[in-house]
This record gives sequence, structure tokens and C-alpha cells, in this order.
Amino acid sequence: MRWTSSVRNFFLMPAVIWVLVFTIFPLGYSLYAAFHNVTNETIVNRMEVPRLDKAGEPVLRPDGTPRMKTEVVRETVTKWEFVGLDNFKRLFTDTVLHEAIKVTAIFVGVGLAIQMTLGLALAMLFNRDMPGRSLLRTIMILPIFTTPVAAGYLFFTIFYEEGGPLGWTGIPWLSNPSWALFSVIVVDVWQWTPFCFLVFLAALQGIPDELLEAVKLDTNSNWTTFREVLLPLLMPTIVIVLLLRFAEAMKVFDIVASLTVGGPGNATQSLSYLAFRTGLRFFDVGYASAIAYTLLALVMVVVTILFKRIRTIYA
Amino acid sequence: MNRLNALLAGASALALLAGPASAGEYVEWQDDGSVLLKLSPEYDSAVIEVPAGELGSLFGPDEQPFAGDEITVLTLDSGPKGGISGPIYAFRPVFEELTGAKVNIALVPISELYTKIFLDLRNGTGEYDGMIVGAFMYGDLIDGNYILPVDDWQQSGDFPAWSYDVMPDALRTIYTWDGVGYGVLSDADGQVLYYRRDLLNDPEHQAAFKAEHGYDMPVPPATLQQLRDIAAYFDGKNFDANDPEPDSGVVLHLKVREQGLYHFMTLATSFAVTPGELSETQGVYWFNPTDMTPLINSPGHVKALEYLKDLAQFGPDAQVSWSLGEAWDYFLRGKAVFNFSYGDVAPLAQDESRSNIRGKIGSTILPASDTYWDMNKQEFVTTDTPRKVGNVTGGSWHGVVSSLSDSPETTYAFWSLMATKPISKWLATYGWDGVDPGYSYQFLEPVGEAKLEDYLAAGWDATDVQEYLQAYYDNFNAEVMLPYLRITGTQEYYDILDSNLSAAMSGAKTPQQALDDTAAGWEQVTDRLGREKQLEAYQAAIGWQG
Repeated sequence: MRWTSSVRNFFLMPAVIWVLVFTIFPLGYSLYAAFHNVTNETIVNRMEVPRLDKAGEPVLRPDGTPRMKTEVVRETVTKWEFVGLDNFKRLFTDTVLHEAIKVTAIFVGVGLAIQMTLGLALAMLFNRDMPGRSLLRTIMILPIFTTPVAAGYLFFTIFYEEGGPLGWTGIPWLSNPSWALFSVIVVDVWQWTPFCFLVFLAALQGIPDELLEAVKLDTNSNWTTFREVLLPLLMPTIVIVLLLRFAEAMKVFDIVASLTVGGPGNATQSLSYLAFRTGLRFFDVGYASAIAYTLLALVMVVVTILFKRIRTIYA
Repeated sequence: MNRLNALLAGASALALLAGPASAGEYVEWQDDGSVLLKLSPEYDSAVIEVPAGELGSLFGPDEQPFAGDEITVLTLDSGPKGGISGPIYAFRPVFEELTGAKVNIALVPISELYTKIFLDLRNGTGEYDGMIVGAFMYGDLIDGNYILPVDDWQQSGDFPAWSYDVMPDALRTIYTWDGVGYGVLSDADGQVLYYRRDLLNDPEHQAAFKAEHGYDMPVPPATLQQLRDIAAYFDGKNFDANDPEPDSGVVLHLKVREQGLYHFMTLATSFAVTPGELSETQGVYWFNPTDMTPLINSPGHVKALEYLKDLAQFGPDAQVSWSLGEAWDYFLRGKAVFNFSYGDVAPLAQDESRSNIRGKIGSTILPASDTYWDMNKQEFVTTDTPRKVGNVTGGSWHGVVSSLSDSPETTYAFWSLMATKPISKWLATYGWDGVDPGYSYQFLEPVGEAKLEDYLAAGWDATDVQEYLQAYYDNFNAEVMLPYLRITGTQEYYDILDSNLSAAMSGAKTPQQALDDTAAGWEQVTDRLGREKQLEAYQAAIGWQG
């Protein structure tokens, strides 16, 4: 049976509506906001009306006059003042934003490097017969299922410097700017290394045994095998994992909000957290949108490069 | 606390002898014209007696004036028996029985309170009929016409009775705007110095301190410089017998985006404010009142931050990431000699389940710096008679009525019930509720109306409470007060200051750099919000006559 175009459109409709409502509209709205100074004004009209009892009769005061109550009629007006590129110009002079970009870059760079390396190493380790492998693998991936906010609060107690489980180290986990950023990275590594591990392990298990046995005829060196055979075979998977993790890590918010609230100072304030605070704490919606677009632009540039890399690898 | 219960139970037994005219689970109308408000067992089944007349003319044994109404109030979340949110939970069933209305309580962490309130108000959602607000939010609340004045209700005689007249001027100012009342009496915030009375008066420590610093250890310290010397002397000694760890000279709550900035704000006043009648160079702290140029990076402010950083070295390193609870806990466990903070500390110290310092906690108005920046002379001046500067630093958290509320009278009635003298006084005597004393009937005679027995019955140590209430009386009635910033955008000005202070305290910036960056950030905010408008609001806030 051949489907008519209207049937095909019907089945495509939910996806189209989803993309329009949850992707295209917010994108367009925030782009529009980025060129405006957005303010809300609520106009409230209040009317005094008699208070009625259950029988619908006016409730009277002792002096016989009716008791009144207030009825409110409200209208909220959103004002859009066009400011051209002002919000984007601010991006170049805002030192707090520059600090947030630096923090996000360090978080993503260091965090991803550790997660990818550790995930790959663990995958190599688990890609062989060993007692209790299934159980260990299950335990390994548990952090993925933790809500990031909960992970943040959990590590807040672990990093607690006065009597916490790691207090004996004497490390200022949360009170020193550099250590605090490292602590945020540690939580992210704890949560997402298992994801890298899981995907790498699946990729490793997809490599035919015959191929590895053939390699053994040429070399006994594990390093050579890894570098010359496994790594090239794993490269598409590595790039995909890197891409997914990069896009996710650039948006880091929950761990920062629950573990450090961006501090000390702004030492752990990520771009997402700054955008959130600018828009929803100070209600500077236009500038928050400009920050969000900066984040989007940064992600797009790197993702485009990674996609090109994927195409090259597959080619 | 048990003694108070016994006392209250006795009082209620006597009242019951008179015979109840109408007895409910939470409210009992007596024939003698009094009303017993009975809290649930979670609140020790406390019974508070209120004269019926003080509840207002709308209320009576056969009246439920707001039957059918349902209101939602938003508060910071400290739990059903925690600071500020605790009393709302405690008195909700009383109010519901008294009025027939239903009260829903919405909770958010203190760090999200501002956002939650203003999202609701700015978007016109009107989800909350009333909110617990900090006084620093008033600029934004008034600017947006988001809250309702309460004077007419208050003076109508219909509602539970309370008065602004019991407030010191400094507190009255932050509960009102341009002479109009908006806030319903509740908390009174300010920071005073808490110290270990037992340690400072110890003859051995006295002698050792004198040998080390060459002068008698003053109890309490009269200047911030003396405070620093005493903190330095005690830091690293193990004066807390409960563990073998060395203890600290001081403990501060410095966590960014919590309430860390308030330490600096309070302390910097005596360094940065030039004495004299209000002028461009005298009595000003935040901005130049002629052009809104920030004063926050003046040499006086920078010296204050240098002092705070110096003082902080005598505290635990972790305090940079500590909020109120953690710092208070450290002090209550007896691990620090000094803490300057809100009125919650001394009441909490009386609870021996969490405190090792009951009977040992001294309180005094915050000492002043013996050196200040004179803006007229453009130089530092050292004085033999430092000015004690008072403050209403903090939120002085209290209820307001949303202008979007469909039941403003009911909301006001709820807030005002907790503002009545018997309840407000009762709240001040207890440690768990976060409602700190500041009103005439909460202070001891002769400066106030309260009797020592009221507090002793609530489990206070006599010397602790006498010093505590005197410290707060001195603080709120000081001749010089830290000007309270509450213009539009205060939250954003505060946030910039807060993150820069945190950067300085954690070593990421020098004090000068941190305050220069703050000033630059403030200039941007002022320009964005409109310099003329901000200037006008600031001038009005500080009483500038030009």
C-alpha cells in the first residue's frame, strides 16, 4: 500500500509541532528578545464589592453596613524596546561573562579529557573475561541515573571541609576558587565517565575477534595494537561521544547551582548559570538571551568542526 | 522551654476555670474577654493568651470572617520548625480556625525567594496572595506597584492589632516607604557581636593576652582593632574541651549568594562613613547623592575589606563556603570566640541539644574602627572615641500583601495575627523561629516593657539574655546607622558586591580590585536602570535634601 501525502503529513505532524513549539519558537523568541530591552508592567484595577455569605446575602457589620471585599482585575503588558545590537555589544565589555566563558571552557576541556580517557581505559579493562564483570559493570553505570542536582548536594556533603568524609585531606574543596572548579569537574566526571565507558565498551565489543587475532600475528605490543588498530576503529565512536558530551557539558547548570552556586566569587559560574541568573534573577531578559546565543554559537562552532571530522573519518 | 509550657499551662488552667465561652481545637474564647491560641504538640502545645479586643472587631466566637477564602503565602524554606517559615506553620491552624479561611504555604530556598516573588509579580500571575520579603526588595516592590499599603487595615480596628510605634526608627523606616506602611511587623534583623564571655573573662587568658599584646583584654572589645587582637590571641588554641582539634578566633558566614556580603556591609560603616550631617561627603556610604557615583571603592571601604580579610585568617578556611547555619553551628559548638551575626545566635545558644555555650555567650553592639576615612580631608583619621554604628543589616523578613491578591484582607489578617504583641513577644523569646527581637515590648525594662522572667521561663540564661537584648537595643537605637540600600535593582547591586567580596575573601582578587570591579559593575547597572531615576530613588531613601 502506498501512503498518500496527506497520511504522511499527518504522521509527521507531531514531530513538526514539537520542533516548532519547543525549538523554533524559543529560538526565535530569544533572538527577538536579544535585540530588545524587555520589561513587564502589570496594571491592576481593584474593586470593592460586598462580601456574601453562603446564602448569597451580603455580610453586614455590627453597624449594618455591608462588609466589603476586593476583586482584582489585572493585565500584564510586556514592553519591547528595540535596542539594536546593544545587548551584543555588552558581551565584549562584560568581565563577568568573560570569566564565565573561561570557567566553562576549563570545565568542558578538563572534564571531557578526564571522562574520555578514563571511560576508554575502563572499557579496555572490562573488555575481557573477569569474575563478576556484569555486576561491576552495572555498579559502574549507576551514577548516570543520578539527578545532577542530587549529585551536587551529595558531593556538597562529601566535600564539606569541616568534618566531611574528605575533610581529613585538608583540601579546600569548596572554599578555594581553583579547587572549587576542580570539585565541580569531579562531580561531572563521576557522573558521566560511566556513559563514556558504556559506549566505548559497546564499540570495543563490536570489533571482530578475528581481526584482533590477525593483529596478534603481526605484533605482540598492546600499545601498538591500541594505537594502530583499536583507536582508528574506535574513532567514530570517540567523536560521537565527544560531541554528545561536549554539547551537554557546555550547558552545565545543575551541579554548579547545587554545589557551589557559582562561587567562591564567580570561580565556578558557568555560562548557563550566568544566563539563568541574568534572565531570571535580574530580569534582564534581552541580555540573558544574548548570552544564551553566545553559548549557542560556541557550541555550534565546535559541533560543526566535530561533524566535519566525523564525515572525514567515514569518508 | 518546659518551664514556659508549665507556666502557660497554668495560665490556661486558670483561664479555663473562668470557663470557655467557645472552645475549639486551636482557639478558645474565654468569658473573661481573653482568647487562648493553642499551638499543636509539634510546637510544645504552647498556649498564648490574647485579649479578644486585640484580635479586631471582625473576630468573635461565632464569627468566621473569611470563611471560604483560600490564600497562598510564599516564604523562605526553613521547614515547619525553622526560622521564618516555622511561625507560619505554627499559626496556620489557629488562623484557619479563627477565620474559616484556608492557608496554603509555598516554600522556596532563601536563594530563590527573590526570583520566585518577582517572577510571580512581573508576569502578573498572582499565585501568591502574600509573601515574606526582605526589606532590601522594597525598591523593586514599590517601583512595580506590586504590594499594597496596610495602613487603612491596620487603623480600621477590624484586624489583629499591632503598631509601627513599637519599632525603633531604623526598623520603622525599612517596614515603610515614604511614610506609608507596607510591611507587617515580624522579624528585626541586625548584626551584633557575639563573644565567649567565659573565655574573655578567664584570668589566665587575660594575663596571657596582656603579655602578648601589652594591654588588658577588654571585655567586650571596644574597637575592631581590639577584636582582631583577641581573635588572633585565641586562634589555634584548643579552648573547646569537646575535641582535641585547635579552635578559631572567629567564625564568619561568607558563602557567595547567601548572606556573606552582610558581614562586610556592617563592618565597613565605621571605616567608610565620615561623621557629620548628611552631605555629599558626610553620612554617605553607598553612592554619591549628587550623581550616583559608587562610593563602594573608597579608601575607607577598601580598608574595611582588608580588615575583614585579615580577621578571617583567624577563622576556619572553610568559612568562605559557609552559609549562616554552618557558621552558627561552629560557634554554638564552642569552636570560635567571636561571631558577628543576626539575632538568632543567642537564642539558639540556649538550646543545649545543639549548643555548648549556654551561659557563656556575650553580646554587644558591633565595635567600631578607631580609624576612618574622612571624605572631607581625603585622609584616614584615627580617633580615641570610635563611633558605635548600628545597623539593620539583613532582611528583617516580614509579610506583605500582593497587589495581585484576590483576598488581600484575609492575607493581611494572617500576617497581622502573628504581629500582635502577645504572639510577637512569644516568638522573640524562642530560638527556633527566626523572629528576632527589636520592638519595645521585647526589650527588658527599663528600656523596654519585657520582664526578665518572660525570658527565663523560656529557658534563657539570665546573663545571656540581658546582654543580648541590651546589645540589640543599643544597635537599633545607635546615633549613627548604616544606611539601608533599597532602591530599584538593589538585588543586582548586592549580587555584584557579593561575588566580588567572595572573590576577595577567597584570594582571587585583592580588596582594591574587588571593590573597583564592584564600582564598575554598579555604574553599568545604574546606567541601564536610568541614572536620573536611580538618583532620585537613592536621594529619597537617604533623606537627601540637596
